[in-house]
Amino acid sequence: MCGLAHYFESEGLSTVLVGFVREHMEAIKPARGLFLDFPMGRGMGKPNDPEFQKKVIRGAFDLFKSERGPVLADFPETIPVRNGRMSYALPPELVLKTSDIGDVDVLVAEVQAEIDALLPDYEAAVSSRGRTTVGASELAIHTFAPFISEFIRGEIPKSPRKGVPAIPLLKLVVEDLEAYYTETRTHRDGIDDLELMGKWFWEETNAGRLLLSLEAVSIASDNKVMLQIVEMSLMAPRFWSEGPLPGTSAAGW
Amino acid sequence: MTKISEMPAVGRSFISDLKLPSFEYLAWTPPVPAQSRRVSIVSTAAVSRRGEKPFSWLAKDHRSFHKNDRDLVMTHVAVEFDRSAWQQDLNVIIPLDRLEEMAESGEIGSVADEHYSFMGAADPVTMEKSARTVADQMKHEGVNTVFLIPI
Repeated sequence: MCGLAHYFESEGLSTVLVGFVREHMEAIKPARGLFLDFPMGRGMGKPNDPEFQKKVIRGAFDLFKSERGPVLADFPETIPVRNGRMSYALPPELVLKTSDIGDVDVLVAEVQAEIDALLPDYEAAVSSRGRTTVGASELAIHTFAPFISEFIRGEIPKSPRKGVPAIPLLKLVVEDLEAYYTETRTHRDGIDDLELMGKWFWEETNAGRLLLSLEAVSIASDNKVMLQIVEMSLMAPRFWSEGPLPGTSAAGW
Repeated sequence: MTKISEMPAVGRSFISDLKLPSFEYLAWTPPVPAQSRRVSIVSTAAVSRRGEKPFSWLAKDHRSFHKNDRDLVMTHVAVEFDRSAWQQDLNVIIPLDRLEEMAESGEIGSVADEHYSFMGAADPVTMEKSARTVADQMKHEGVNTVFLIPI
């Protein structure tokens, strides 16, 4: 982000950025930067809070008043994070082994039932918001679990989406599945709590168990890309965990 | 303040070891008066319009979207940031509605028609060519101010 700002500024465009890692902003020295002590993924701080969002924008745009730079300022309000982690992280001890997976057909059926039960509330959420973020994969919702289950069975299926190989598509399907659940609950229950949403989805739902099963298979996989996905925490949220996923070295990082 | 040294082990190690870009000079463009600002957003959230090609994991390229586009999806490779916020409100990462309100009230001049997204996981040095292409498009549209927002 700071590097991009340099290129735009050098093209005769005035820039201001907001950022979450102050040490990086100090080191790279963009022309104008406002440090935000917020969780990552919340650049304007709070969803559905226009006044707070405008405070952040005004705080950033105030830096245009400086006649010389680099200018680095701190936004005066903080949105606390838990134990230094910038988003939800799975408990390190919550790891499945392939021997824990059980009958994949049963697990898929349980996820499908869960998806069906959430559908009316998901549709209400989409109607209320006028948008959904589900669909980056372009697969239909009822095909998410069956597609994921093929990988759990140790197969790499043919990608149903032209131009997107199976494993990158798998990542998008996983993210679509989680978005389906969290879009539904944040709307249905009127809650905005990233820790609660992460804990519910990953630790309490059948869909979470399906993905932890996928992780277990990936750790044991001889497919380098599948292994890379788990070693680099690109699927299950372990980036902010205290220590690498057991069975991996985190060498990918 | 959340310092890198206080972050949990895996994330701390990764962020500490990142190779940061360095530049020989400070690029500095004097800003125009607030009421003359035409603002374009640059996001590193790897969002794009539904149906567009997903970003690759270390993409050097970019996507653009119109200020009225709200049907955006995210294909960012990383999952270490909260996605539940933008699911609830696009403005929490791309505040188009807020900028429109500020333009209507005269706090800024106008909101650009086109806005841009990059893959934040990629090395920004590899994005230079794409960034300069975006800069040309912005200037062609009369943009003079860029608001950069990470994910």
